[in-house]
Amino acid sequence: MTGYLELTGLHKRYGESIAVHDVSLAIGKGEAVALLGPSGCGKTTTLRMLAGLVDPDRGTIRVDGADITRLPAHRRNMGYVFQSYALFPHLSVARNIGFGLEERGVARGDITRRVGDALALVHLAGLERRRPRELSGGQQQRVALARALVVHPSVLLLDESLSNLDAKLRDAMRHEIRSIQKSLDITTLFVTHDQVEALTMCDRIAVMHRGRIAQIGTPEDIYERPAARFVAEFVGRANALAATRDGGGIRIWGAAQPMNDPGWPSFDILIRPQRMRLLPSAEPTGDAMRVEGRVLRRAFVGDRVEVLVEGPGGQLTVELPSGGTLPEEGTAIAVAWRPQDNLIFPPDAA
Amino acid sequence: MNGAGRGLSLLAGGVYALILAPVVVVVALAFSADNFIVFPPSGFSLRWFRALAGNAPLLAALGVSVQVACAVTLLSLVIGVPAALALAKGRFRFREALTGFFLAPLLLPTLITGLALLLFFTRLRLTATLPGLALGHMTVTVPFVIRMMTTAFATLPHDIEAAAATLGAAPWRVLRRVTLPLALPGVIACACLSFLLSFDETVISLFLSGPRAATLPVEMVHYVEGRTDPLIAALSVVLIIFTLIVVVAVERLVGVARAVSK
Amino acid sequence: MNTRLPLLLLPAAVFVLGIYAWPTLLLLRNAFNEVGPTGAMIPAWSLATLRDVFADGFTLELTRNSLLLSASATALALLLAYPLSLFLFRTNSRWRGPLAVVAILPMLVSGVVRVFGWLAILGDRGLVNSVLQSVGLISAPLKLVFNWTGVTIGLTESIMPYMTLALLAGFGRLDRTLEEAARSLGASPWRGFLRVTLPLSLPAIALAGGLGFVLSMSAYITPKLLGGGRVFVLATEIFEQATTNTNWPVSAVLAIYTLVLLLALLALAQLASRALAR
Repeated sequence: MTGYLELTGLHKRYGESIAVHDVSLAIGKGEAVALLGPSGCGKTTTLRMLAGLVDPDRGTIRVDGADITRLPAHRRNMGYVFQSYALFPHLSVARNIGFGLEERGVARGDITRRVGDALALVHLAGLERRRPRELSGGQQQRVALARALVVHPSVLLLDESLSNLDAKLRDAMRHEIRSIQKSLDITTLFVTHDQVEALTMCDRIAVMHRGRIAQIGTPEDIYERPAARFVAEFVGRANALAATRDGGGIRIWGAAQPMNDPGWPSFDILIRPQRMRLLPSAEPTGDAMRVEGRVLRRAFVGDRVEVLVEGPGGQLTVELPSGGTLPEEGTAIAVAWRPQDNLIFPPDAA
Repeated sequence: MNGAGRGLSLLAGGVYALILAPVVVVVALAFSADNFIVFPPSGFSLRWFRALAGNAPLLAALGVSVQVACAVTLLSLVIGVPAALALAKGRFRFREALTGFFLAPLLLPTLITGLALLLFFTRLRLTATLPGLALGHMTVTVPFVIRMMTTAFATLPHDIEAAAATLGAAPWRVLRRVTLPLALPGVIACACLSFLLSFDETVISLFLSGPRAATLPVEMVHYVEGRTDPLIAALSVVLIIFTLIVVVAVERLVGVARAVSK
Repeated sequence: MNTRLPLLLLPAAVFVLGIYAWPTLLLLRNAFNEVGPTGAMIPAWSLATLRDVFADGFTLELTRNSLLLSASATALALLLAYPLSLFLFRTNSRWRGPLAVVAILPMLVSGVVRVFGWLAILGDRGLVNSVLQSVGLISAPLKLVFNWTGVTIGLTESIMPYMTLALLAGFGRLDRTLEEAARSLGASPWRGFLRVTLPLSLPAIALAGGLGFVLSMSAYITPKLLGGGRVFVLATEIFEQATTNTNWPVSAVLAIYTLVLLLALLALAQLASRALAR
């Protein structure tokens, strides 16, 4: 696989712990890819290696075919938006955004013009002379974005860039960054621990776990066809049900299930809560997967309702659209789902 | 009401009275009309300020102190700031040990340092000279500058220098455009306090002073040992005002408590 | 970018080695020299000076004086600095900043100035004696300076700001909600202090105490001027031997002896602090 931005076998260890383990990734020109994972999974270290802020122990980084692995940070021409924004507190907004252009020796008039354009792009025109501390969090974030974009970087790197904003602003910025990214057709790598960010802002997602890439794919791939149990549980929610073998058949919570035997002695079946439905315990379900239980609790979450069901093998959550009639707490109930919604992973392959 | 409680506030007030007592008394005494240290004074005058203006040894010592303090401040910054930069930003081996090594002089009492320097400088004929005094004071100020500036450099906003680098600034450009401008208040505060430390340094100066060159605190000690009149009080008022100006400046820049504590 | 950075350490390294480490070694070396009958120094590698110094009963007396004076000054300063720091830690007055500066003011005002102030307060015709005499409590002035009392008071004041800072640093690690929790559980402010704040601040007290002790032990100006030549401690003797007598071997031995005492005391304070932090 070749791409505009190519990481091959990137490896970084800090003392005893391996932060990044043989990470390879190819990103096409203009593509937006998210590095998604829990904190400490190595995603930020990967991003910092790309920017030249951390030296990899092994591996290469290529941009447009050129090996930049050993190039110092200031000669890489990458736009980096830091989690803390890292705006220069002693410089005005305009000087912050113009910083990279000044370093590149761009003529003063051009700098003024391009800074103006960049400010307009992020809807901050007129704030040129403010100091960073006089701006709101959202405005600071836009300045940081403008500062990274104004130099026409070959790659845009965003490190948890929305995590310091409140929920509403985060939604707005998510769409704004995505549309800017698309209109500029800029190759973007986006580090985040927030699956919604990854799912909505990117063409592809690379899920990282313990320094390795667990899966690369489109948001749909990742969500519908997770390659590992970790991915299934990290992206979206999943009920884990222990499956046992009884003669030739598979049983869950004691009930026989109409599914193929994968051949493992024991394993978990993961199912998304919204792929399950509830039905009266007497009603037959044909060839669907099915367990019996009792409604433990119902929680209204706005546009949907979560029903917690307790059965012989533990608890599971069913997610339903709100508005329908719900069984009372304490009622016996059946939970059913289609066999093709089963997510099955070999044991100990977390 | 103020978060500390009435009893505690009263107690603290008493302690404050004790802390301020010597300073207040000295200021009052400076305007005394008496020939001796009598408190409260029997009358007030400016005679001791006039006497001060005519006291050649003290004025000469003041000149020495100012010269020494200026040289000490300048040299301490020149030596200390780069070292602090290296200690704060460097990723080399033995960095911790080196930091300890550079701060070691702060551990020894000036009584010991002063004695050691006396033994050393006598051989080099540096006792009772301005360079000797300046070098002596620098054993205090250089580690002080290193300690204060290492903290200042290490506590710069996270990722701010990395941001400059990703925007295309070469390392020395990052230093010039980001690191130093952001550390400037700290540097100025360091300069102020180094000046003050040198100006007030007494014990090392006592070891290294002689008839040819004595700093102001040394002359003051000798004066207090020999005479009991309010002249020193008048001089003290001048010094206290000078100190307050420096303290207020430093407080504005970085906060005194942060500057003088570890 | 960091490969050449250590070069910036070079001037500082040369300075510390040349003007600090080397003279300190020289001081150590001098302790092994001998003193001739005329008082002249005889270069040697012997322990004769060391033996002489410790055979002299005066050394023991100096040690006792230094330790006793430092202990009393440290205890007094703790009693004063503790409420002061607790006040500074708790107050939310908008004067907190300036008040903190005033608390450490003695650190910034020249020692000679402060000593002079104490002479004016404690002297025969000073503030205290004037007041006491005018209200008729005493007929003859109390002897408050040029003796043990004066030195203790002066030392107490001079070490207090350092101890205040040390205590404040210790309080910084103290969670205020803990005392509030004690209050909510029914403890009076005083009981809350005794059962929560005080035990938790014991490590800071140990460190501050050690610091105060060491600073008093090595103070020279205060015992010299407020002692008026009548209070003899290790610090004054080291200075006298080095300057007036130019007896370098003896002053070197005394200096190293004092240093060893100081280091032992500091180590003790550290150990105590760590043990109390459990």
